Amino acid sequence: MPRVGTNMDFFTAMEVSASGLSAQRARMNVASSNLANAQTTQTAGGGPYKRKDVVLQSTDVPGTEGELGGAVKGVEVASIKQDAAPPRLEYDPGHPQANAQGYVAYPNVNPVEEMVDMITASRAYEAGITTMSTAVSMAEKALGIGK
Amino acid sequence: MSIVNRAYGAQAVQPLPQLDKVAKPETDIGESFSKALTDARELDKDATSQAERFANHDPSVGIHEVVIASEKASIAVRYAVTLKNKALEAYHELMNTQV
Repeated sequence: MPRVGTNMDFFTAMEVSASGLSAQRARMNVASSNLANAQTTQTAGGGPYKRKDVVLQSTDVPGTEGELGGAVKGVEVASIKQDAAPPRLEYDPGHPQANAQGYVAYPNVNPVEEMVDMITASRAYEAGITTMSTAVSMAEKALGIGK
Repeated sequence: MSIVNRAYGAQAVQPLPQLDKVAKPETDIGESFSKALTDARELDKDATSQAERFANHDPSVGIHEVVIASEKASIAVRYAVTLKNKALEAYHELMNTQV
């Protein structure tokens, strides 16, 4: 990302919102992965699919250290962690993945929670877009001074 | 004369204070304009490369990043054009001065 002079400082707000949009997109992807795999009983690592969670962390925005004292932070995905909750056991002796007691281990995914996560991510994405549009229209207003 | 002045409460005309010479600006308009153009070109290159990478299915480029990059380039170009218009306007204003 090329840094332009500080006379283009509306771009800081745009970069921060852009990092937020990327973070929310990652949350959306993870929620869709969790939902898609809500019934997956087999994975490459063995055992049922384990629910994933996105860990977000704040980052410095390049070029704003001097002017804003590093107070403005962007966000990035630090890691994607597995939920340590135990798998959901369901009694189904006829299932090919059933254990000796007749229980099948299903993923620790609660579809309702995932839907809530998805809606939160979608709303946060919308908020980021609104921030972005406002920054753009502020820059446009500034260019229109005296017209 | 002094009677008239007193009658109308007029003050004696003060001579104008010596006008200071206007300090030379640190950068002239040409420099700021060329800097604005350079910025616009950089951002335009960035927008183009992001759009190309997105079209080539680069997973690190999101659709919002492409739109944001082109929006930035558009703002930078409009900034350069605004500078040009203002400078030209000032020039025309001076050139059309009635002597």
